[in-house]
Amino acid sequence: MRKFFGTWLPVLLGLVMPMLVAAQQTVKGRITDPAGNPLPGATIQVRGTQQSTQSDEKGNFSISVPAGSNRLEVSFVGFQTQVVPIRTGELLIQLKEDDSNLNEVVVTGLASTIKKSNAANSVARISAKELTGSTRPPTLDGAISGKIPGAQITANSGAPGGGVSIRLRGVSTVAGSSQPLFVIDGVIVNNEQFATGTGTRAFTGATSLDAGTQDQAPNRIADINPADIESVEVLKGPSASAIYGSRAGAGVIVITTKRGKTGKARITLNQDAGFTKASKFLGSSNWSREKIETYGGAYNISEEEALDLFEAANGRTWDYEKMIWGHTGKINNTGLNISGGNDRTRYYIAGAYQRETGIQKRTGYTRKSFRMNLDHKLNDRIDFKVSSNFINSYASRGFTGNDNRGVSLTYHLPYIPNFLNIARRPDGSYPQVPGRAQNPMEIVDRAENIEKTNRFLNSGEMNVKLFTRGKSTLKLGLRGGVDYLVSEPTVYLPEDLQLMEEVALKGSIRLTTNKSRYTYMQAGLNFNTTVANNLELTSALVFLRDDQRTDQSYIQGEGLLPAQRNPSIAQRVTSGNIINRSSVVAFDASQELNWDDKVIGRVGVRADKSTLSGLNFDKYYYYPRAAVAINVANFGFWNTDLISQVKPRAAYGEASGFPSFDAVYSNLLGVNYGGELGSISPILLGLSALDPERAQEIEFGLDLGFLQNRVTLEATWYSKKVKDFLYPYTLAPGTGVSSIKLFPVGDLVNRGIEIGLNAQIIKRVNLEWSSSLQFWNNRTEVTRLNIPPSYVANSGFGTYGRKRIALGTSPTAWWGVDTAGNTINYKDYQPDFQLSWNNNIRFAKNFDFNMLWHTSQGGYNASLTRLLKDEGGTTKDWSTIGKSGDPVGIERQGSEITNFVFDASYIRLRELGLYYTVPAKLLETGFGKVVQSVRLGFSAQNLVTITDYYGYDPEVSNFNTGNAGGALTGGVDLAPFPLAKRYFFHLNIGL
Amino acid sequence: MKRMYKCQLLLIALAAVQMSSCTKTDYVPNPNAPTQESVLRNATRQQISQLGVGVQSVIRDGVFSFRTWSGSIGREVVYFAQTESRYYRELQGEIPLDAAGIMYGWYSNFNQTRRRAEIMLQSAANTAALSDAEKAAAKGFGKTVQAYVMLNALNMMGSNGIRTSFTDLSSEGDLLKPGCFKNYTESLTYLKGLVEDGLADLAQAGTTEFPFAMVDGWGDLASIEGFKKFNRAVAARIALYQQDWNSLETALNQSFMDLDGDLNEGPSFLYSNVLGDETNPIWRSFDNNSTPILVQADFVPEAEAGDKRVFGVSMAEGGMSRIRQRTTPTAPPDYPVMTHEVQMFPTNTAPVKFLRNEELILMYAEAKLQKDELAAAVTALDYIRTQNGLAALATAKPGVIGNKNALIDELLHQRRYSLFMEGHRWFDMRRYNKLNTLPLDKPTHSVFEKFHIPRAEADWDIVNPCQ
Repeated sequence: MRKFFGTWLPVLLGLVMPMLVAAQQTVKGRITDPAGNPLPGATIQVRGTQQSTQSDEKGNFSISVPAGSNRLEVSFVGFQTQVVPIRTGELLIQLKEDDSNLNEVVVTGLASTIKKSNAANSVARISAKELTGSTRPPTLDGAISGKIPGAQITANSGAPGGGVSIRLRGVSTVAGSSQPLFVIDGVIVNNEQFATGTGTRAFTGATSLDAGTQDQAPNRIADINPADIESVEVLKGPSASAIYGSRAGAGVIVITTKRGKTGKARITLNQDAGFTKASKFLGSSNWSREKIETYGGAYNISEEEALDLFEAANGRTWDYEKMIWGHTGKINNTGLNISGGNDRTRYYIAGAYQRETGIQKRTGYTRKSFRMNLDHKLNDRIDFKVSSNFINSYASRGFTGNDNRGVSLTYHLPYIPNFLNIARRPDGSYPQVPGRAQNPMEIVDRAENIEKTNRFLNSGEMNVKLFTRGKSTLKLGLRGGVDYLVSEPTVYLPEDLQLMEEVALKGSIRLTTNKSRYTYMQAGLNFNTTVANNLELTSALVFLRDDQRTDQSYIQGEGLLPAQRNPSIAQRVTSGNIINRSSVVAFDASQELNWDDKVIGRVGVRADKSTLSGLNFDKYYYYPRAAVAINVANFGFWNTDLISQVKPRAAYGEASGFPSFDAVYSNLLGVNYGGELGSISPILLGLSALDPERAQEIEFGLDLGFLQNRVTLEATWYSKKVKDFLYPYTLAPGTGVSSIKLFPVGDLVNRGIEIGLNAQIIKRVNLEWSSSLQFWNNRTEVTRLNIPPSYVANSGFGTYGRKRIALGTSPTAWWGVDTAGNTINYKDYQPDFQLSWNNNIRFAKNFDFNMLWHTSQGGYNASLTRLLKDEGGTTKDWSTIGKSGDPVGIERQGSEITNFVFDASYIRLRELGLYYTVPAKLLETGFGKVVQSVRLGFSAQNLVTITDYYGYDPEVSNFNTGNAGGALTGGVDLAPFPLAKRYFFHLNIGL
Repeated sequence: MKRMYKCQLLLIALAAVQMSSCTKTDYVPNPNAPTQESVLRNATRQQISQLGVGVQSVIRDGVFSFRTWSGSIGREVVYFAQTESRYYRELQGEIPLDAAGIMYGWYSNFNQTRRRAEIMLQSAANTAALSDAEKAAAKGFGKTVQAYVMLNALNMMGSNGIRTSFTDLSSEGDLLKPGCFKNYTESLTYLKGLVEDGLADLAQAGTTEFPFAMVDGWGDLASIEGFKKFNRAVAARIALYQQDWNSLETALNQSFMDLDGDLNEGPSFLYSNVLGDETNPIWRSFDNNSTPILVQADFVPEAEAGDKRVFGVSMAEGGMSRIRQRTTPTAPPDYPVMTHEVQMFPTNTAPVKFLRNEELILMYAEAKLQKDELAAAVTALDYIRTQNGLAALATAKPGVIGNKNALIDELLHQRRYSLFMEGHRWFDMRRYNKLNTLPLDKPTHSVFEKFHIPRAEADWDIVNPCQ
């Protein structure tokens, strides 16, 4: 009882009122690295208070310390955090370099962070060094591949400009996009895949009318320059992402950009030069008279004609893949940034120009980006930050993927036997390819699929210390931002392409304008106090509102005059416009507690209302969360040096999502018939008041550190349940309605394990080797379902393998038929496990070697790429005699699923880099003091892929993941753009 | 004291946030389209008019898959889609029909049209904007349309039948409980009920006009009086499949049949390049290679010499031949080479006739044959023959005159050539038990008797057993 009054009463009081404390003292000191060099920009904080300051250019600091406080905590990125007792006189603090990442801070709230060593969640954090330090993938999505435990990342296309699907901890939603929410500098930004129309009837004809599902467009996060990023944090599931409530069902990726550091101005010049080459070709089989006879001609060519053409070729063959993707693309990245500042103002200004030409003629990606980040401390009470970014990008992606028209190169090459010469003639004309409507070389040279994007990202933040009294501080934080972008895809097929001969309306052009405006504002109060000397309490109350609006319109003209590129005067003009808008208003209350870094806990609840819920627009939905971590090694009784960290932890959270904007409406559709305006009732009905689907996640983990954290182990188990997941409720087609767009139909559960092992294996003066091994897996199961088993739209093609929602099975499993024609569940798209292995070796003092291996094992893809080649008779092994006595190329066209669903396991050397840092002494003799640092290096991306998989890349997805069928669309391999390897030479000069 | 002041300030600030416009959210009306709810109750006259035009436009939905798939199974054509081998492999019976596959467009289309017609006629019934006569007109129109499209659906489904009850929009949730599949005979009874109700409604409408514009495609049938004749033509078709020869003859006599008139008289689907409209889905350019509709190899050799439906200038070029010789014969692997392609339309906006006088005359001939009035049947058949460039039976095939079985073969032969690619051949062969006489292009082929019940329907019935 006495203990209650002695210890807990102050705690309770501390929650409601600030402490009254009197006198203060000022402490001065100096921070250095182990060699004694000053460390400017280190953070010095009075333990248990919000009093903090930064060291100046010479490493000096001065801080006022309230009475009763007796320790300072000194931290700096890359160094171990130290807690030192306060003494009189100047403090000399020497920081030790840090081999672990335990001092990095990770996000725990809308306006709060925590040291990783205190975190109760497994938050993957990728630092700038990990992101772009080894090699330079052109877009962010490429840069995070293989670096996030718990994620399954697949490229939609190897075409320049990116396009990727990211799934965190399995299946978060079935009908909607599985893409996580992206937050940059505290502000929600757009990561949509906008429709370009490439897949529609007037172009590849992959889909009939609806643009989007098979356009293979990039995600908009590709706009962000990876070199501007300081860190990427991944809140993998609701136990961490609950702070983003109704937008966070699929997890959150929090990106922080680089900011200026205190110290003298530093100018850094980066120049990369490189080239890119196709990673793999599938090859094409040679033909013989016998083969032509077995085949019965060639595809769409009669036997007689095929034999004539074969004879005419006289043994010559053409390698079409090489003709189209055999080019060497050139890479040029130039970056210049200036950063610096003093204790009041800091700045980071960066400009970048990136240009890459593709492995296919007339394809490529260019990005110009300018960023200015400013931090200013107005006075001791008020500081603010401004981040501003302008991006201009251009992508030319060519035509690949699904097709019903003769436009997609990858789709049509498989049908052309290699004894035909399809090369452009010297007079500029293209030979008619027998049996085909279109010569692919003409598409390469004359068809266009480009996209231009302009984007402004601006955000600002202001923090005001409303009052500080002793160990208590009340802060007001205001944050806001705008993400405005306009992307303008153009798709163009000239009127005199060969395929147009059969088309009534010759030539087509589609100009699309996608406009998006996201705004975000947040206001929060944060009260921090310390009671009983070492119990730190933080209470926060946050209000926020975010508004999103996208406006997509296009005008398409079919039937063009020669060289006409204005759709509005075409023979048939079509146009369309779709507006999506939504607002979320939320309140969030949280309480965090930290007892001397021994026990760290937090609880919180967020209340959201969202216009996406239709008639429920004014209803609040509540998302609770709680977490606790215990640092056993920080207790007094722990006294072994061998084990430096023991942290059991547990976290729970809820989040949710709305799969689409349109789900609450039953639209009447307009038609124009016989010159009269008509309307037809919908075949898709909306549920006018829709509750979000809810994801609930519990996570348990244990973090261990050995030998002063030279070796750390993080192990996490989670179970994420998506309750009442929304899915199209397919009605009996005999009703004349195909479905209710979204309906709560069941539950599904994801369970997985994530294990990370980091070790500083060798640490000598001339040789350092640190290595990190990450293992993760996930299994998903539908645990409740109140609809009949149902095939998921855009998850595959018919019996060639597609996904099905069925009770007790994995929603990512493939379904097809066996030899007897029975429908069976065959293999899973989700891999059994993934493993990545990253190594950094520093040798001979000035050399750095980095290597990132990544493997995915046991995942299966549904591949139609081989079927196309088997049908066309061009598979390399087509003529090999199979079990039935027929060539395998014929056998494999049977309908059983084993012909199409293959093991897509692979081992990939994602990144490889070797750098040399020119010794400072050498620079001094060469350039005086002008040049501070010079670093040279070579690197490569996707250098080696070890796989038995048939196809250009085992990481594929024909369908867009941003709209279409969303989460379950992955793994459909239908003639994608071939994967490219990239090689770089790097030069980095610091002035 | 000062602290309390600050606390109050905070509370006020919080309250301000709560009440300010920042927290306000409004219902977002659909920015992209009007909603269905807006017409179901108290629709305006204009909305009914638009729904009526909408129904007219959707009758054509499914015409391509209905004609091409049934034509493929009935061995009229081979749909040699370059990028999708299932169209010929499945339809020619080389691999099993996939009940969840891509062959069911017509099924959804016809059922959707039935529902859209229902929404139109119920919206008309639930508004004060129309007179009772106009409501009856809308109802008669809707029911006739339902009978027309669902007969097509039923013939594709064969003995699997169709769902004869599908929705009752007046009671909430009923949409979720469609009725059972009824067998072929019961389904025909349902369709007969629809078309007879439709006629009664049209009679009740009297001399009023439809409360919506009737598009040009209806020609003389656009008035209530004219549309009754279309209703009777649909009734005739139903009677044909019911083998109710007396009703067939009666219905034909009340339809727009003209025993010595233009064979092509009849309503048509319209197409255009206008935004919001569609183009003719059966139209193909000459010598199309990407999705040609090839004529099955036996069609030309088995035609009589001089038959204008087969030889001579194609319909696409202003002639009468339904087909045209390709400059580049083609075929899927191991098929006999096909020299001809379907060419029935000059442009991609050409209208598609969907119930022609020629069919009515052929139904008349069949009714007469089955009623053993052979002479009248021969007269009708001779009219068809002579109009298509052939000699009368007495000269060309004197042996068949007076021989009922031979005349039935002759009738089926004329139906094969006259109604080529109009969705008849497969059903004709089925109702006369002659599916086994259809030619197979490869020994691995087979002739399906009917389409499966779609997987989605079967799945539905497992979970929601019908009553």
